[in-house]
Amino acid sequence: MSSDSKWRPQDDEADDEEEGEVDGTQYQSMKDAILFAIHVSPSMLSTHSSNDDEEDEGWNPKKKTPKCKPMSAVRTALQCAYEVLQQRIISNPKDMMGILLFGTQETKFPDGGSYNNCYLLMDLDVPDAPSIKSLKNLIQDEDEFNKVITPSEAPISMANVLFGANQIFTTKASNFQSRRLFLITDNDNPHSDDRALKNSAITRARDLYDLGVSIDPFYISNPGKPEFDPTKFYEDIIYRAPGGEDTDEDDTSAVHLKPTADGTLRLQEMISSIRTKATPKRALFTTKLELGPGLEIGVKGYILYKRQEKARSHYVYTGGEQPQIVKGDTTQLSSDTARVVEKTEIKKAYKFGGETVLFSPEELKEIRNFGQPVIRIIGFKPASALRFMDNVRPANFIYPTEAEFVGSTRVFAALHKKLLESDKIGIAWFIARRNAAPVLVALYPSEEKVESKVQIHPPGIFLIQLPFANDIRQNPETPLVRAPDTLVDCMRAIVKVLHMPRGYRPEKFSNPALQWHYRILQAIALDEEVPEKAEDNTLPKYKLIRKYAGEKVIKWGEELEEVMSADPGDGKIREKKRAAPEEDWEKAPAKKRAAKGGEEGLKDEEMRRAYEKGQVGKFTVVQLKGWLLGKRLEGKGKKADLVEKVEEWFDNH
Amino acid sequence: MADKQASVYIVDVGCSMGEKHNGRDETDLEFAMRWVWDKITSTVMTERKTDTIGVVGLRTDATNNELESDPNYHHISLLNPIQQFLMPQLRAVRESIQPSKTNQGDGISAIVIAIQMIVKYCKKLKYTRNIYLVTNGTGPFDPDGIAEIVAQIKNEGINLTILGVDFDDEEFGFKEEDKDEQKKEVEGFLKNVVEQCGGVCGTLAEAVEELARPRLKKVRPVPSYKGTLTLGDYLKDDTAMNLEVERYPRTMIAKPMSSSSFVQKSKPEEEDRGGPSVRREIKEDEDGKKMSYVKNERTYLVQDEMEEGGKKEVDRDVLEKGYMYGRAVVPISSTDESITTLETNSSYEILGFIPRQGYERYFSMSTTCVVVPQKGNRKAAMALSSLIRALYELDNYILARLVTKKDKPPVMVVMAPLIEPDFEALIDIPFLEDVRQYRFPPLDSVKTITGKVLDKHRNLPTDEMYDAMGEYVEKMDLSTFGRDDDGNPTDYAPPEDTFSPVLHRIDQVVRWRAIHPDDPIPPASDILTKYSHPPQELLEQAQKPLDRLIEASCVKKVPPKVRGKRDREQPKPMSGLNVDELLRSEDSARPANKKAKISSNNAIPEFKQSLVMHSSIEEIKGTCSQMAALIKEAITTSFADLLYDKAADMMRVMREELVELDEPEVYNEFLRDLKKEILAGNLGGNRVDMWKEVRKNKLGLLTSSESERSEVTEEMAKEVCEIFLFLPRFLISSCLVWYLGFINIVDFSF
Repeated sequence: MSSDSKWRPQDDEADDEEEGEVDGTQYQSMKDAILFAIHVSPSMLSTHSSNDDEEDEGWNPKKKTPKCKPMSAVRTALQCAYEVLQQRIISNPKDMMGILLFGTQETKFPDGGSYNNCYLLMDLDVPDAPSIKSLKNLIQDEDEFNKVITPSEAPISMANVLFGANQIFTTKASNFQSRRLFLITDNDNPHSDDRALKNSAITRARDLYDLGVSIDPFYISNPGKPEFDPTKFYEDIIYRAPGGEDTDEDDTSAVHLKPTADGTLRLQEMISSIRTKATPKRALFTTKLELGPGLEIGVKGYILYKRQEKARSHYVYTGGEQPQIVKGDTTQLSSDTARVVEKTEIKKAYKFGGETVLFSPEELKEIRNFGQPVIRIIGFKPASALRFMDNVRPANFIYPTEAEFVGSTRVFAALHKKLLESDKIGIAWFIARRNAAPVLVALYPSEEKVESKVQIHPPGIFLIQLPFANDIRQNPETPLVRAPDTLVDCMRAIVKVLHMPRGYRPEKFSNPALQWHYRILQAIALDEEVPEKAEDNTLPKYKLIRKYAGEKVIKWGEELEEVMSADPGDGKIREKKRAAPEEDWEKAPAKKRAAKGGEEGLKDEEMRRAYEKGQVGKFTVVQLKGWLLGKRLEGKGKKADLVEKVEEWFDNH
Repeated sequence: MADKQASVYIVDVGCSMGEKHNGRDETDLEFAMRWVWDKITSTVMTERKTDTIGVVGLRTDATNNELESDPNYHHISLLNPIQQFLMPQLRAVRESIQPSKTNQGDGISAIVIAIQMIVKYCKKLKYTRNIYLVTNGTGPFDPDGIAEIVAQIKNEGINLTILGVDFDDEEFGFKEEDKDEQKKEVEGFLKNVVEQCGGVCGTLAEAVEELARPRLKKVRPVPSYKGTLTLGDYLKDDTAMNLEVERYPRTMIAKPMSSSSFVQKSKPEEEDRGGPSVRREIKEDEDGKKMSYVKNERTYLVQDEMEEGGKKEVDRDVLEKGYMYGRAVVPISSTDESITTLETNSSYEILGFIPRQGYERYFSMSTTCVVVPQKGNRKAAMALSSLIRALYELDNYILARLVTKKDKPPVMVVMAPLIEPDFEALIDIPFLEDVRQYRFPPLDSVKTITGKVLDKHRNLPTDEMYDAMGEYVEKMDLSTFGRDDDGNPTDYAPPEDTFSPVLHRIDQVVRWRAIHPDDPIPPASDILTKYSHPPQELLEQAQKPLDRLIEASCVKKVPPKVRGKRDREQPKPMSGLNVDELLRSEDSARPANKKAKISSNNAIPEFKQSLVMHSSIEEIKGTCSQMAALIKEAITTSFADLLYDKAADMMRVMREELVELDEPEVYNEFLRDLKKEILAGNLGGNRVDMWKEVRKNKLGLLTSSESERSEVTEEMAKEVCEIFLFLPRFLISSCLVWYLGFINIVDFSF
């Protein structure tokens, strides 16, 4: 585990230095450990039926939700833990997780000790196949579940539970950036009659706080019982983030699950709140936001959207008893003598004119230095100035912090409100951290959106990186064709029936390739059956499209034929050159334009004629490639390969 | 690919070019060469063999050219024949471009030589032919036979550009006062010549000024997808809609030039040679020839008890690929490597249409592309146009699923209509897995612990603040602050006017260093930092509301850490209970006799709590020495590196607490001692890796920048940290052996 990082190929590091970009690499090194502590008691095991409604999705008819079978709080929590586990294997493969049950009849704790009625169901660690399997088994196998999860008659000692958690964190996850205890219980006063035990628990809670473990409680109020009252005990053991009443972090706010009107528990809410909390909130950078000379406030930057990729593959040695991850070791050699070189000897140089241009380390630093990290607003523009195409990477999200400047939050709030109300954006010069390349960003305010008590979009400001002139490509040259209104009308009808009024909702779409990848890995790792077909909810709903739009598409198709038959262009391209930006194409010399023209005109018939005469080779590589790409064939390799591929295609068609 | 090119630069190096004019602090030659070198080095940078350069010196002391027997062609020297220009050529030309001692040499003859060179080199092949002449116009330009020369230039299709130092240029707005009659005549003559050839004649100052504006590389559009955009089941359903389209990048981050790693070549003989002349030679060579690449060699190791050292090197060919699932290793044999790949077909499918408001702008995750109809397919163009216009009229976007190539993972994209030249832009958007569900408290209200919602709070802006902010934002409007060529208000800093600072900066200094190997690097050109601050003029307009905003906001910088522990606020649980008191009382969970002593299994909390309760410097030192002992104990008893994390964690806490307590020396003393002990091998064998942890976790000496009272500088701290870099290699490898030894022991105990 700890050694993993050491063996990472060094080559990757060099890139990081070069880029100096804001990316997710920092995230990975900040490890997180979550220990679920689930209270087992008769009330926690009583069952409730779930009644959560599914949202509708525009023209999609409502999906029928199969009624879930009644679940107990303990079972829901375990189910949740299992989901979180699977999800974290994908998103945070290096992070640890564990499950501790307390109040069980049976005791299971590694050091033995005096941790009575504590059952360490899953030790805190990066999950391995056996522990995942046994958790899955416990959830699925009723007998197994009942065997382990039997409440004890004896009263619980919260001090024991908390010190047990302390020991687990100390031995398994020391030096972790974030350590959290998810405490799930419905008993608001475990030590109502024993002051000593209560005080002991309070001290142990303070130990956890001093150790750097935060407690995230999930309180459950049972139907028909008095509401869970955190002031009785829990507010003595839960700490807010340092800084007192600061609203900076709301991570410590407790989740409180209350029964619904019809007397059932909203267990679904538990799932969604645990899911949310399971993602450790990690700031990417902390910096100054300069609104104008003399007005600086503190902000923290986060990434809220980032492409989740598969974890990297490793080399595995299967020659031994167990498959082993191979450790790679990189040695840096001088290319002339193959002598091993030390890091300090290595110099960075740029290639220029067949040789190298050298700079001293100080100069290299100076070259990239464009000043201190800052978000400096240089002015404001209407939001419409931010074009749809002005995007290069995921946005960063900023939120104020009072740590450096008192009053940051109110200034930020005023700016946020003003931008939202007048539909404006800020333009800023942005250096994320020391030596990072400066970029220009748009400050785009986001409005808070809450749905069924869950925050969907947080309030704050997104930093959308604007492309530099260097990053903007010219549009390709295309003839200007304008569809007549009759045709547009037909199309409009199609667009209208396939309208999804709720817009794009990321939570509705799982990445099918990523899910499939991990599904297969899981099947192999846990000896499960390999599924045959992937679940893919990104595919269009063909049946519905046909049902709603089928006829309209046909009508549009007929109209298109009609328009084309009356088209003055008659299949020929009416070249209408556009002005300024295409200047360079105009200047292109005759031969090149001829080649390009050829590519344009390279139709199937032309190619077929050549094929029939055995003259496919007369076309240029560019033309062949273009034609192959048009047929969704790979246009790679030497000319002979391309010719062969073209001929192959005609052989089969 | 760009065209083949042959460019000849004629540089006037006459005696008068060595003089300074018009208040410049550089000679005319230096001034002219700024432009010439910029042109040449940007050609060098392309590293294209077909982009060739020749250089001719005019008014040189010597004569060296094809027609040198003819006295008309004296004082003209071929400095570099037409060829690809690389560093050796650059160095040679750099040396020979010096002001001469003569003013003899005919400029027109030099042009003839240049034409000659081009004709010979390019023959009748397809080349872009350029001749550039830079001069201050004080030398002779013989009009004899000029008509023929002009005809030849036109015939050969040569682009002639003449740039003159202090030539008059009305458009640019330059006129030299008290111009010499002869120069006036030369200027007129040259302008006339250039006009006849369809070339360009300008004043050098303008050309030099233009250099500041970075040049952009043109990239030929390459489609990222070619195929159909479909609606419905295009394979089975005859009511499916099929549009032939192509997709091209619209934005793509241009990366700066990257550097590579080199080392000094071994050079045993060098010391012997010595002497100033030889030194010079080495200096010349230093840039290139004395350096050699650093290459990486990877070896692959697996644990094997049978082998010496417990490790076996394995050949890469016998290895399989695999993934981790949690801690489980999942090997995937090469035969079914594709098993975890989702099978997909290249396709571009519409899922539905969403309202513009249904798409959050900050969902966009990638660079953008445009979708255009298939080339030469008018029907496709017509069909796409109807879609674009329908979307535009309904203010809708397309939601689609795109697979660019077979078996590539599908991505979700949103397409927006872009109506001007009938284009569409589209952007990748996030999946569920890409969303990090962080929550943030609202900015327009504050919720107290008891759940009360406040609309007045120190974290909420006052009306006065909001008003001032509003005015400030309005006054700082950029959308009409820019000026177009005719002086009309226009958008300020549109992306098309902004240049990637790092990219151009590196470009600039690399070229500078190639020409001026011994000079310090120049500052970044102004255009690169133009947008780093708000425009001054705008700020002046907005000063009043800004002052008002500053006053109303009343932002205060948090003072540096309060010295001394007495003022430290102790953490309290939400209820506000005084836990410190409880800790002191008998009810605490601590065994009574151990109160003063830190136990190893609860070290960090007890250490912190002890510091709260015992605050004299002696007590602090005492507590810290207990902690130090525990840290060393952890290192000493650690199986291999198993307890290093714990030790590092304890060190981190100790370091942080001592910063708070303003006692940096206590930590520094401990750290120096720890280093000594590790070096001496006193902590249960070789613990070099523990020191690496110290470095990795940034647990080095507390410097004066971190803690005011520390006298340790950054350099000293660095030195203390890095000394282990120079440890002989065998120490590290013996450590590995030892490490594996313990792993075996662990195995036995199971």
